[in-house]
Amino acid sequence: MSHNASINDATPASDQTSSDAQASATPAPVLEVSGLAQRVASGEGRLTILEDLELAVQAGESVAIIGASGSGKSTLLGLLAGLDSPSEGDIRLFGSSLAGLDEDGRAALRAGQVGFVFQNFQLLPTLTALENVLMPLELAPQGDIEAQARDWLTRVGLGERLDHLPRHLSGGEQQRVAIARAFVAGPGLVFADEPTGNLDTATGERIAELLFTLNRERGTTLILVTHDLTLARRCDRCLNLEAGKLVEWNDEASAPAVATPQGGDDV
Amino acid sequence: MSESRVSDRAATSSANAQRPRGARLPLALRGLLRDLRASDVRALFLALMLAVAATTMIGFFLDRLDRGLNRQASQLLGGDLVLESSNPLDPRFAEAFRAAGLEMSPQLGMVSMASHGDSFVLSSLKAVSPGYPLAGRVELESDASGEDAQAPGTSSRAEIPPPGEAWIVPRLAMALSAEVGDTLTVGRKQLTISGLITREPDQQGGFSEFSPRLMFNMEDLDATGLIQPGSRMEYRLLAAGDPAAVQQARDAIAPLLASADNAEVRLKDVREDRPRLGRSLERADKYLSLAGLVAVLLAGVAVAMSTRRYVERHLDSAALWRCFGASQRQLSRLFAAQLGWLALLASTGGAVLGLLGQMGLVALLERFLPLELPAPGPLPLALGILTALAVLVGFAGPMLLRLRQVSALKVLRRELAPLPASAWVVVAIASLVFGALMWLYSGDLMLAAGLLVGGIIALGLLMVVGQLLLSLMLKVVARMRGQGGWSRPIRLAGGMLARRRGASLGQLVAFAVTFAAMALIALVRGDLITRWQAQIPTDAPNHFAINIQPGEQQAFGEQLTAMVDEQAGDSQSELYPMVRGRITALKGESLLGRTQQRLQAAQSDQPAAGGMQEGRSDEGDGEQQGVPQRELNLTWHRDLPDHNRLSSGEWAPISDFADADSETRSRLAATQGVPVSMEEELAERMGLVIGDSLSFTIGSETVKAQVVNLRHVDWESFLPNFYVIFPPGALESFAHSYMTAFHLEDERKLAPLVRDYPSVSLINIDAILTRVQELIAQVSRAVELILGLVLLAGASVLYAALVASRPAREHEGALYKVFGAGQGLLARLQAAEFVLLGLLSGLLAAMLAEGAAVGLYSGWLGLPVVLHPWLWVLLPLAGGVLIGGLGFWLSREVRRQPPMAGLRALQ
Repeated sequence: MSHNASINDATPASDQTSSDAQASATPAPVLEVSGLAQRVASGEGRLTILEDLELAVQAGESVAIIGASGSGKSTLLGLLAGLDSPSEGDIRLFGSSLAGLDEDGRAALRAGQVGFVFQNFQLLPTLTALENVLMPLELAPQGDIEAQARDWLTRVGLGERLDHLPRHLSGGEQQRVAIARAFVAGPGLVFADEPTGNLDTATGERIAELLFTLNRERGTTLILVTHDLTLARRCDRCLNLEAGKLVEWNDEASAPAVATPQGGDDV
Repeated sequence: MSESRVSDRAATSSANAQRPRGARLPLALRGLLRDLRASDVRALFLALMLAVAATTMIGFFLDRLDRGLNRQASQLLGGDLVLESSNPLDPRFAEAFRAAGLEMSPQLGMVSMASHGDSFVLSSLKAVSPGYPLAGRVELESDASGEDAQAPGTSSRAEIPPPGEAWIVPRLAMALSAEVGDTLTVGRKQLTISGLITREPDQQGGFSEFSPRLMFNMEDLDATGLIQPGSRMEYRLLAAGDPAAVQQARDAIAPLLASADNAEVRLKDVREDRPRLGRSLERADKYLSLAGLVAVLLAGVAVAMSTRRYVERHLDSAALWRCFGASQRQLSRLFAAQLGWLALLASTGGAVLGLLGQMGLVALLERFLPLELPAPGPLPLALGILTALAVLVGFAGPMLLRLRQVSALKVLRRELAPLPASAWVVVAIASLVFGALMWLYSGDLMLAAGLLVGGIIALGLLMVVGQLLLSLMLKVVARMRGQGGWSRPIRLAGGMLARRRGASLGQLVAFAVTFAAMALIALVRGDLITRWQAQIPTDAPNHFAINIQPGEQQAFGEQLTAMVDEQAGDSQSELYPMVRGRITALKGESLLGRTQQRLQAAQSDQPAAGGMQEGRSDEGDGEQQGVPQRELNLTWHRDLPDHNRLSSGEWAPISDFADADSETRSRLAATQGVPVSMEEELAERMGLVIGDSLSFTIGSETVKAQVVNLRHVDWESFLPNFYVIFPPGALESFAHSYMTAFHLEDERKLAPLVRDYPSVSLINIDAILTRVQELIAQVSRAVELILGLVLLAGASVLYAALVASRPAREHEGALYKVFGAGQGLLARLQAAEFVLLGLLSGLLAAMLAEGAAVGLYSGWLGLPVVLHPWLWVLLPLAGGVLIGGLGFWLSREVRRQPPMAGLRALQ
């Protein structure tokens, strides 16, 4: 079946470029952030959410970003993915700087290279599971996209539910569709914003398992935002967002500000 | 809601625990005013305002007309009892009226030429006598300036034109190039113009619109020489008095009316027989109201769409209220109050629009309105508010009810989508409410019920076809496999349109109805006029001459022939004699004594444009069992006229009769009857076949006739056409006049004819045609005004649809951007979606318009069915451009947003 070849062998174009450019040197980070700052106007004045933030993520890593409610985790994720523009600083994705790019340029960078998993699944309610998974493929098609989509849905255990609409799927099932959608185009990097936030513990556990399996099998870089420490501990690295900066966090260090069991959105 | 409001509310709610209702109103109003910032509330407001504007505009106009007509019904008629006949009235009628103590005024009407210098104009003459008018007053232009037409020896303005003088309408003065003080000639009499009529209290119908009024004193009638044995006049006797006297008179003349001698006398009574104008207005009333209701329907759809969005938005706050302890009832009352205020505000705005609109209607139709309209009354306003409320309840009610039932849990479990109200419930309730509105406005339960059922069926059909179109489109776009610039967006857009079936269908149908309505009016207007004009051959007669006296006809014919210049394109038909007669027996059975049905058709005896048609009996004509009740124009001719065609039978018996000697003729006439040729459609209606006999009463004598052949007549040939043709030698002894038709390029040649033959009436067909065209154009414009509202309502549906779908579009757009779609692709995607929607709507509209036209033409207007292929190209294109452009432009905000905001849109 052609899908094997197309998915497994798809390499992000920029990875090839970077590896060409630096044949023997350490591979460039998939994500590189320097001097990132984000301020927003809010009521009486300006609110500083992120301040002078640094980050570098290597290919294949799994990184968790934790922090208290309102610390700006989701905002950071949005910036990293180029969904929003920072007040200051530089973000380099696959070696290309987002700073010089406009909305369209950032979108072009994302196409086929970046996947997303959201806390509330964000499936299109009028599309079936199969069609939802097809979406990123339609934007960067290669080969038989329907077969690829079907294959992925089977892989996440929803092979029988291809034609179901999101409202006919449970939370966990919807998230699995979302994961299939995130991975289907063979991206080099997947962002996940509270992927288990809306799920019960057992389902959340299964979703987490799926994510990390895919991360291991495909070498897809995974950047997670979460308040769930158990999930965070499974990642290669764990960073705590505190006072607008990222700080390495490990179990032995002081516990971060306690996360609330139910997540609302951050700013 | 900001913090300050929270404390306000806390304060008011605790302080008003004992008086919950009073304090909540200001809160509701405040809430509403804040809410007006939201696009769904704006859409709701707009839609309601349009609904009210549509109904109040028509309501105000018709209400004013109605009240005016009622107020002046008798005045319009000319009296409480009016007798009309084409022959001099039996003097016993006047005796009966006098005995009952009624005031009387005899009158004479006819159409003839008035001339001044070189100008001559066909005028509607009215000879009046002292006592006229029995109600109201003739208003003259000089009244305003203060210089009155003085009757000799009186100090105040005369009620009627004094002998030797004439009052004319300004239009006639213009046409004659004359002014007050000039002399004009009517027949053989010269009259001085002493007044310009601005308002005539009584409106006799028929061609008064086409021929301008000339009023003069009855004493001058003889001097004009217009009363000739064959002339066509209308004798009238007007009477007025108190109800008891009127009733007494009515009883007294009943036997007279029933008698055979007075068979063609018509009695008009203000109680039973409103002026024809009034009846047509009743019908117009219904249809206008229904047209306005289309706008209301569309507005209702817009309301339904924006309510959905409204409910979604307020679901969260409603849930929060419930968390804080509000009961379902409190919640309902709060929302009901808010929406009540919305309805009230929208009604006010709509009523203002409606007032302005009806002023436009009045201005457009002023020339056809018989009277001055009283000021607008409050009733239509009340109806307008009622309509707004009804629309709100009907179209938004079921969804709003959901707000009551929201549970506090909704706040916590954010992934639950709000439960939509069952679509069937919405449709059912909306239909009921709309049906009630239709009944209210048309006053006709059967009509309303029929239209409602018909409308629902039509709607169902439209949805089915719309569904098919969507599926078809899906198949078509799915084939677009290319990855090029437009094929992907089109494919994706088509898919989205087809998937969002409910919303897409609703929008499709709403737009289709709007486009179809506009197309239909343009179609009908164009077809009517085009077809009519196309019928007329270029060398068709442009003049008719009637009332040519027997002694004159040879000379007239010769003079006319001398004028006709065939090189220049002139032509001339023969001179045809005309006798008035009524059919009084069919196949040996007398028709007299049967109950005389009230005649409904125009009793005007003037030749209509389009040939000398006897008022080709349509449904409205006075026919009893197919037999025309009024007098027919009978003619005689030895041979088959050139422009007629024999469809069955032989012509020989007629020419034989003509050639036979008088003895043979008398014998034939007494036994079998005079052989006559009959027009085939009339024969069919009367159930006559070749060989059947019938009798005509002419004057006081009876002529027996036998049908020997049937003819096919082309009524639209503009040549003299007759239902019945006798042979020469049968009717010459009766009083008759001649008529002919001709085409003259140079009208000035007619001047000597008019001078030399003053009793002859020359009718200018071109002028009539132009007037009719103007009439149609004017009325169409009025209807278009109303349909303009329909179009606006359709636009409000588009707006509401966009508003309702905005969060979904934002969400979609954001997700597409997240996964890498650029703005260009997104723009093309949205453009494709709207253009596709517009194309499909246009296609559906073309189907609807064409179908409706077929029904309208064959069923109601009696025109042959014509297809309009250009419609099928124009409407889809127009739809694509209009909706594509508008939708694309209105959704530009969505495209510009960065993805993060869009992702939040559904929350």
